Amino acid sequence: MNETLIFLLDQIKSVIQFHPVILKGLGMTIVVSLIGIVVGGIVGFALGVGRASSYKALSFLIGAYTDIFRGTPVLVQLFVVYFILPQAGVELDSFTAGAIALSNISACFVSEIVASGIRAIPVGQLEAAAASGLSRFQRLRLIMLPQATRMIVPSLVGQFVLLVKDSSVVSAIGLLELTRSGWIVVQSIPNGLLVFSVIGVGYFVICYPMLYWSRKLEKKH
Amino acid sequence: MIKFSGLDKWFGDHHVLQKIDLDVAKGEVVVVCGPSGSGKSTLIRCVNGLEKYQGGSLVVDGISVGDSANLRRLRMELGFVFQQFNLYPHKTALENVTLALIYVRKLPRQEAIARGKELLRKVGLGDKFDSYPAQLSGGQQQRVAIARSLCMQPKIMLFDEPTSALDPEMINEVLDVMVGLAKDGMTMIVVTHEMGFARKVADRVVFMDKGSIVEVSEPETFFTAPKNERTQEFLSKILRH
Repeated sequence: MNETLIFLLDQIKSVIQFHPVILKGLGMTIVVSLIGIVVGGIVGFALGVGRASSYKALSFLIGAYTDIFRGTPVLVQLFVVYFILPQAGVELDSFTAGAIALSNISACFVSEIVASGIRAIPVGQLEAAAASGLSRFQRLRLIMLPQATRMIVPSLVGQFVLLVKDSSVVSAIGLLELTRSGWIVVQSIPNGLLVFSVIGVGYFVICYPMLYWSRKLEKKH
Repeated sequence: MIKFSGLDKWFGDHHVLQKIDLDVAKGEVVVVCGPSGSGKSTLIRCVNGLEKYQGGSLVVDGISVGDSANLRRLRMELGFVFQQFNLYPHKTALENVTLALIYVRKLPRQEAIARGKELLRKVGLGDKFDSYPAQLSGGQQQRVAIARSLCMQPKIMLFDEPTSALDPEMINEVLDVMVGLAKDGMTMIVVTHEMGFARKVADRVVFMDKGSIVEVSEPETFFTAPKNERTQEFLSKILRH
């Protein structure tokens, strides 16, 4: 019993010695997730407004596009971006490919969330706004978006948390992010439970503040 | 001031407005009544472009409603009060009332607020400036909605069954505001079932059925000596109580 405890403490010490690799992986996860959240959020927002608009052709096209990506695995999409796009002449390094794939999938999910928020606003209010002379853009900005945004914050944050966790797929094209760093460490310290618990804590440290913040925002309104 | 000439509208195959001819003069109060599906709501919604028509013409204060380039400008002169109030739930009563003043009429904020307060007081809600719609009763919400339209100083006020969604006790507080407006000389088209209101302030009563205007007459004539059989039938059913 004493021996296993000493052995475990030894392993923990070794894991701590590996902190540069783990922190590097953590950093990469944060950076690539952040890009996915910001770019995906902005693009997804614009797509969502288009999706919920009354221009049927636009709505249909956006819907078809987002359905394709929401209905297929991110890993597969990542491979398409990284391995298949070069055949069409687009060469990408793994970081750019990863950022593109994550931003794209994020945008597709955000688009549906934003569209459903917009659709949830009762049309009567918008008729009243139109009847008082407000332009389409003003109706969107003053009446629709303030209410829709408040409504969709929990779903949006949930989506971003999923993105952070999904970001581990970029390890498949060679990026050293948090999960991959775990694999590297476990080569030298063959205690999977220990190593991946640490990795898990790494993800939790990123995700928990988002979940907490989302709940606070919800209560505020 | 408002001129319907042979107005035609279809919802798919349903001919919901059939060759409507009607003139509303400045300062006139016209009450439109009729059974469900008669097209009366659709008619009033055509006036400010909430519904589009396919045939005939509709001219308001010299501007054709079908001409979408002028629609925003036209809507500034047309107040519209909905059956479901349609207040903005995320804004206070005062904010609801001043929104269009600030963003459409481009009034400076302080001036808009002053006018908004004055109008809310006029409809009896001087103590509710900072209340949200959810904190107000139906009758109060509808009065805020009326104040919201009046703030824009429209030339014409349109009411689409303003009291139909209210509890009976609250109907009068809203009708009183409307009677006051009529007495002040506002041009009004009111779609309603409130025949007492019609009798009191209407200059003319229009009865619609199945998309056409069946009868137009002054209130006294309308209620005591309706000419058309269908009008008589309708009146006998609704005046029972």
